[in-house]
Amino acid sequence: LFNEKKNKRLQEADMDKGARPNWDNPMQFVLACVSYAVGLGNVWRFPYLCQLHGGGGFLIPYLIMLFLEGVPLFYLELAIGQKMSLGSIGAWTAISPYLGGVGLASVVTSLYLCLYYNIINAWSFWYLFHSFQSVLPWADCPINSNRTGPIEECERATPTQYFFYRETLDISSSIEVNGGIHTGQALCLVLAWLITYLFIVRGVKSTGKVVYFTATFPYVVLFIYLIRGMTLHGAINGVKYMFTPKMEQLANPTTWINAATQIFFSLGLGFGSLIAFASYNQYNNNFERQAIIVSLINSGTSIFASIVTFAIYGFKATVNYENCLERTRLLLLNAFSLAEDSITMDTVFDWIEKLNTTYPQQFAEIADKLENCDLESELDTAVEGTGLAFIVYSEAIMNMPLSQLWSVLYFIMLLLLGMGSMLGNVTAIVTPLRDFKITSRMSNELLNGLVCLFCLLLGLGFTTPSGNYWFTMFNDYGATFSLLFIVLIEVITVSYIYGIKRFEKDIEDMLGHRPNWYWKIMWSVTSPVLLIALFIFYIINYIKGGTPTYQAWNKELVSYGFFLLHY
Amino acid sequence: MLEKILILLCLSSALAEQPCKPDASDGYKVRLSIKTALGDEAYVWNENEMFLFRATLAFAMRSHLNGQEFDVSNIIVCDETPRVTFWFVVTSPLNTSGLVDKGVVEEAIRMSRNRINSAFLLTDKTLEFIGITPTLTAPVNPDTPPWLIVFGVVMGAVGAGIIVVLVSPLVLKKRKKNEETDEDEEETGVKAVENGSTREGVYNMSFSDDERLTQM
Repeated sequence: LFNEKKNKRLQEADMDKGARPNWDNPMQFVLACVSYAVGLGNVWRFPYLCQLHGGGGFLIPYLIMLFLEGVPLFYLELAIGQKMSLGSIGAWTAISPYLGGVGLASVVTSLYLCLYYNIINAWSFWYLFHSFQSVLPWADCPINSNRTGPIEECERATPTQYFFYRETLDISSSIEVNGGIHTGQALCLVLAWLITYLFIVRGVKSTGKVVYFTATFPYVVLFIYLIRGMTLHGAINGVKYMFTPKMEQLANPTTWINAATQIFFSLGLGFGSLIAFASYNQYNNNFERQAIIVSLINSGTSIFASIVTFAIYGFKATVNYENCLERTRLLLLNAFSLAEDSITMDTVFDWIEKLNTTYPQQFAEIADKLENCDLESELDTAVEGTGLAFIVYSEAIMNMPLSQLWSVLYFIMLLLLGMGSMLGNVTAIVTPLRDFKITSRMSNELLNGLVCLFCLLLGLGFTTPSGNYWFTMFNDYGATFSLLFIVLIEVITVSYIYGIKRFEKDIEDMLGHRPNWYWKIMWSVTSPVLLIALFIFYIINYIKGGTPTYQAWNKELVSYGFFLLHY
Repeated sequence: MLEKILILLCLSSALAEQPCKPDASDGYKVRLSIKTALGDEAYVWNENEMFLFRATLAFAMRSHLNGQEFDVSNIIVCDETPRVTFWFVVTSPLNTSGLVDKGVVEEAIRMSRNRINSAFLLTDKTLEFIGITPTLTAPVNPDTPPWLIVFGVVMGAVGAGIIVVLVSPLVLKKRKKNEETDEDEEETGVKAVENGSTREGVYNMSFSDDERLTQM
């Protein structure tokens, strides 16, 4: 008994002295990586790309890129982190003193990401809290002050768009026009940061426990939504549309570039989070198997999520199409004063022809009010980003029976996906900072608190009326270019400056066997070539594109056009 | 002479039927969508339903203009279609050839709109008076918006969680200090060493017997 007590005191003395904390078991590490990699991009970017590039056919370039670029680079980052047992700055400085800048670049990119990413979680909270009402607030337009009809802006747009752009964001007409902070948004942002702090406050000891939940519960919700989605009216239309492969898209180089880009950003390479997570591993942890598992889980989740998304798309498109038919039917009934049951939804098109030929003059009068109802064009509206998550999905949910339940489930899932990714982002900032002597004397709680507070205060800028435009700027232009550059330098450094031979030996030291020829070829040849190709493509696009643009919401015209955001 | 009287009578009776016509200046068009509203339980529109309509409208006119006794005969209906739309005009009980003003009819209908709707089991959308927009119900404004309540609950839980996480190590440390002071009184001959590396051995008298059996 005395022995045990003594050992325990020695261990705790160790921890106070600053020996590196570790994950409680390898499962926590795997779940942390899954939680970080499986994020909002799997739900709102991959289905869009799938639809854009020929449905089922897109899986071919996607899977090829996964094995050429995704898994090797993921493996590389885990290896570096586990070997050096330091955050990104320390790890790269250890490889070569001149390369500390790579680590610093990763930290700065993670900082940018932390600033704007939690806003999405704030929006998810806002929607989640507003789901606890008898009628979902985005289902109907609010009535104007004269009580004569719905608010004009809402009538010209749709209620879901109005709720997002006016009530959630209170968006201004351009990035220059500004205003005060939206209090509701600010409160939700504070909550998001408090929860992030709660999750990371004790470093891996707290993160390790949280990831059991944040990594697994989204799958439960996705599964429930899969069952719900497939049983919805018209869901089959969407799934069929998505999976019909259009093989001619494979000849388009943009397809391959988008596949490579999606793999790259979806795995979260270059931010330093993977290095940070791996640095808390035991030295002999088998990360090779874990790298393959996590990458496959990430891609599998993308495909799974896109089936769900397309079922929802199909439902929404069918509902809109049938509403369009109903409006046309009413228009015909009222204009020609026919009995109510003479035209049904199925016979609308026949009647249009009949009436056009028998009463051409009268028909011409209503011709401009006649809408063109087409299921294909409803399905064709490809949407990605926040537009998909907060507008299209909300629209689909409000048409489901028991919509409050589905709404709550959906936004909890979005929150867990977003929070899981935030864990990685903040860890990527805190871990390298801890390696410095000045900050290592600070307690864990204090350092984490300071980082969260700093990001919260700067993030309040995104809750202003022009905040969404700033968000777009950060999202589209903040990190994409830098990440490609960072990872390119990483892989070239490890392959040629550090040397593949030394790297092999390090891995053998950790795992007990050398990496296979496949890995070596990927690191030294394929991945650098692919990254250089992507890099050149981005530069060309940037130069061709001229001044970067953004799309704005015009209150008077209320036009479409706010949908294209990437992640 | 007789023919002239007959012609005059015919003309006057024809004139008397003219007040109700489509696009009459003091008339309104009504549209009912019974099948849309009631589906399988829809009733058939016939003469009796029309009588009920005229009676309900007479009731509305009476309620609005308190003194005047409107009767079913004061409501004149015409131009009925299979869609179930028709035009109506209201004649004044004091002056059978004069029509009640459009504005007055509109106010009367607005006042009793609910009663008229429920007489036919219809709503504002399925019993339409073309030209009279329904007044929409005022939105319910609760004192505390419901989202704030849920927000408060979650925020409270998170705040409590943070406090627990921050305070518990301090509590544990205090408890351990108490245990340690108890332990120190029991152990003898132990030198507590606080070097940089705790892995280096310190010859510990009280454990010397156990070292033969246990691995360190």
